[in-house]
Amino acid sequence: MHNRKVAIVGMGGAFPDCTDIGDFKEKLFSGKSLIREWDKATAFGKQIRSTVAGFITEEEMNLEPVYSSLAPDYPETYIDRLSRIPDINLATADVGSIWAMLGAQDSIKMAGWTTEETESEETAVVVGSGGAGHEILRHAWHNFYELGKKSRLAGSHTVDRAMVYRDAANVACLIKNKGVCEAIGSACATGLGNIGYAYRLIKFGLQDRAIAGGVEGTSLETFIGFDAMQVLSKGFSPDKSSRPFDLNRNGFVCGFGSGIVALEEYEMAQARGAKIYAVIDSYFNNSDGDGNMFYPSFNGQQRLWKGLAKDAVIKPDVVKVHGTSTPVGDIIELLSVIDAIGDKGYHVSAPKSQFGHMLGAAGSVELITAVMMLENQQVLPCLNSDTLNPELENFQKADGWNGPNKPAASYRHLISPETVNKEINQVVCLNYGFGGTNSAMAISRDV
Amino acid sequence: MERQEIIDGIVEVLKTVRTIDPEKLHNITEETDFLTDLNTPSTELINIAAKVEQKFDVEFEDDDIDNLGSKVKDIVDLIIRAKERAE
Repeated sequence: MHNRKVAIVGMGGAFPDCTDIGDFKEKLFSGKSLIREWDKATAFGKQIRSTVAGFITEEEMNLEPVYSSLAPDYPETYIDRLSRIPDINLATADVGSIWAMLGAQDSIKMAGWTTEETESEETAVVVGSGGAGHEILRHAWHNFYELGKKSRLAGSHTVDRAMVYRDAANVACLIKNKGVCEAIGSACATGLGNIGYAYRLIKFGLQDRAIAGGVEGTSLETFIGFDAMQVLSKGFSPDKSSRPFDLNRNGFVCGFGSGIVALEEYEMAQARGAKIYAVIDSYFNNSDGDGNMFYPSFNGQQRLWKGLAKDAVIKPDVVKVHGTSTPVGDIIELLSVIDAIGDKGYHVSAPKSQFGHMLGAAGSVELITAVMMLENQQVLPCLNSDTLNPELENFQKADGWNGPNKPAASYRHLISPETVNKEINQVVCLNYGFGGTNSAMAISRDV
Repeated sequence: MERQEIIDGIVEVLKTVRTIDPEKLHNITEETDFLTDLNTPSTELINIAAKVEQKFDVEFEDDDIDNLGSKVKDIVDLIIRAKERAE
């Protein structure tokens, strides 16, 4: 019971500038950028440094905020114009939780689970978000601290709409599963971390099915935190802003979205004739252990690859990298991939080049793009990776560097700015987060 | 202020609460119970109380809300008490 195979049988979510997951797929493989100038950011003029994002509006998700008559600008609840989510569930949800619920609904529909299977004690919900603040808390606090109002004026839902595992809680209340309900938090590795944890629950025989993934609801509150760190891309047109590996990259583009998958024990999925979109070969996660909150660790990533390959054959045709478009992270990651698996026989794909960095949703949405690459037999591009550095990076010249000693430009053949058609049997997905957390998952075609 | 006038005002507030079925608001009496008759989630009662305060321009004491019953007449009584207190 401790080494069961796990299948991906359903997917759903919320994606910037897309009507649904089909539209997302079409736009990705045709090489489009989903990054736009954000009116919510530009409205603050010089208070904000970067103004592009992969944002999603309420309107685009067919949601309508209902503003409270008691507290100015406080979205008391949302109306679902398409009647997908009951009002009772909307009352306890922030936008991210609503996207998680919609993704869960789509995933279950795609998986073809019966009500009995969905509501079983053997079905888990493992969904988390990065959650660095949102408007629910901001308005509640503003009304209390600044305006001196009674605490009840912000309503009785600030806890359920803002608590750390709100996305998982809302999904569980919607689908009524009776198994595990938890959220894993690991900053920008959250999306993959939740799916990895759910994978282990099934692999080790603790659950048979799981709704798993990550969410990052559109939030200027989160955006300004990163804007303050001066780590966001600046000075390019929106579609050129996210440019992993390019010599002129100067930061990441904040994105928002949700990616939810339905996982199922392989034999069960096969026995009921489910369509198996991919099989999970391996998952591993670790910490840098160097005491540095932000700086990526080549050694941490070397150990990550070793762990991933410990009990599985790892021979990817595509490595879906974290590739944020920050000056340091991209090349350390590229070199750690090369250190682990050489520099031939695979392509590197950086989907953040198309929709930005979805933070807590990044790992799960990017895993969905990896499943799509298996389905389409196409590698998603590294948009805007126009020029690779012909010189060595400074860290490559430092004492103690034990990684590859060639400049990024030597690896042009791995990084395509355009979609590539090729046979793809395995994709490795990589994500990392503040605090030095690293996660990796390998998925394969079901053959 | 007549009790029926207060009930009508409460119904107006209830119409803005999306977790209450509007169909159930046609025959509201003093005996209507928020929890058993209207299936109001208990967490909404505090929101209703806050909106009622605004609607009738009164302020409830925290103790009043802590001890509030779940019938319409309980809110009507509370509004009258709060108004008297303010006079």
